[in-house]
Amino acid sequence: MALSLLARAQEVKTDSVYTKRTVSKTQIEAVVSTYTQDGNNSAVTGGIGTEALVVIGPNLKISHQFNKYNTIIYHGGADFITSASTDNIDFVRMSASHKDTRGFSDISYRRDLRKTDLGITAGTGFSLESDYFSVPVSFSLDYREPSRMRSYSVAFQAFFDDLRWGRLNPDYLRPVKLIYPVELRYKNWFDNVKRNSYNIKFSFTQVINKRMVAAFFPEFSYQWGLLSTPFHRIYFSDGTEKVENLPTQRFKLPLAARLHYFAGKRNILKGQYSFFWDNFGIVSNGIELECAVKLSPIFTLSPFARFYHQSGSKYFKPYKEHSSSESYYSSDYDLSTMQTYKAGVGLRYAPFHYVGKRFQFEEMNLRYAYYRQSNGLWAHMVSLVIDVAAYGKQK
Amino acid sequence: MQKIKVTFWVLLCSMSLVSCTTVKPYQRTYLNDPEMEPGVRTAQKMEQDAQTIREGASTPGGAKTSGGCGCN
Repeated sequence: MALSLLARAQEVKTDSVYTKRTVSKTQIEAVVSTYTQDGNNSAVTGGIGTEALVVIGPNLKISHQFNKYNTIIYHGGADFITSASTDNIDFVRMSASHKDTRGFSDISYRRDLRKTDLGITAGTGFSLESDYFSVPVSFSLDYREPSRMRSYSVAFQAFFDDLRWGRLNPDYLRPVKLIYPVELRYKNWFDNVKRNSYNIKFSFTQVINKRMVAAFFPEFSYQWGLLSTPFHRIYFSDGTEKVENLPTQRFKLPLAARLHYFAGKRNILKGQYSFFWDNFGIVSNGIELECAVKLSPIFTLSPFARFYHQSGSKYFKPYKEHSSSESYYSSDYDLSTMQTYKAGVGLRYAPFHYVGKRFQFEEMNLRYAYYRQSNGLWAHMVSLVIDVAAYGKQK
Repeated sequence: MQKIKVTFWVLLCSMSLVSCTTVKPYQRTYLNDPEMEPGVRTAQKMEQDAQTIREGASTPGGAKTSGGCGCN
């Protein structure tokens, strides 16, 4: 009997020797987006003329979690741009400015602290276009309370931009000069070629009850430097012509509040209100509503709509309405008074299906939106996102 | 638009008066659904970028990852 009990005790001891192993995880997110737009208020031609534009943007995000506490994230991609409006910088159809490419690459590192629910992330990278080079730097902290009822985050971002053209031109492969409209290249309109942007973003999430969660996103942005686009034309009421000129400092205050509610067993209602103010005189309000309907455990259909109103900048006037005595002037309709409408639908397919022992097809999202501004500009936007995960071998 | 704005703030203020209920881990079935995440989904990011460029205002709560002139 005693021997039997001893043997039993040893068995239990053997079973209780348990070592917790964390397998590494690599998450891959592949995205393809297309954007097609047209309108008749191009800033390149002083507020009149075509705004036809097509952008195809594939990108890839890879995050590798070494263990429970350390993650490295890479995000890179390109935008292939065909633009009828920038083609008019030199008024030569299908010239070099008809097509452009933007490439970007960012890397960041995330550390989750062991004894708290605090995460720290830092990152940098670059973004390159024929007439633009940008270096972003970011640092963020996020914290979730142990009760999981509230979470907080703060993120600081800085973008150091250079607006000179030439980096993608095979004759130069370096920044050379600002590009002005062809007939306005007789003088140098701007001395400064740099634009710096600093953003501080806060977020606060609160669980209201077991079906409802609310979030609040206040932000503050400061931009300094060349905020004008050097190839935007202005035609004044007296018949003269110049390059767009905007102040060299801009303060922005965007705010947003979100509310998600799980209604019944299949429907998630999502609402967002956003507000914006800046020192250019723009004040805007927007509301976005979405209803995610779970058709089955793996399919979710999400119709959505957005309504937005913006009171325009004090520096904006349409074609030939600016006086040449003004200090600042723009005919860029992005800064005008307008209403915009957006509607569309998203489809999410999330099987979380294992392919072999180490690969998992997590989900696929397809989203389409139709966008229209009260000034006549319209756009179609389509995005396809595929998420897969790969798990490391257990040693 | 003014009416919508006022209605929204009234709703938000009335919600803030409602006290929050403590939710136990076993009661989080609905909250843990990925659709309940308050952040911006990847499929929405291109739309947010386009809106930020085509409208004078920038969209709050988004995650701009890299610069670009958006001048086309």
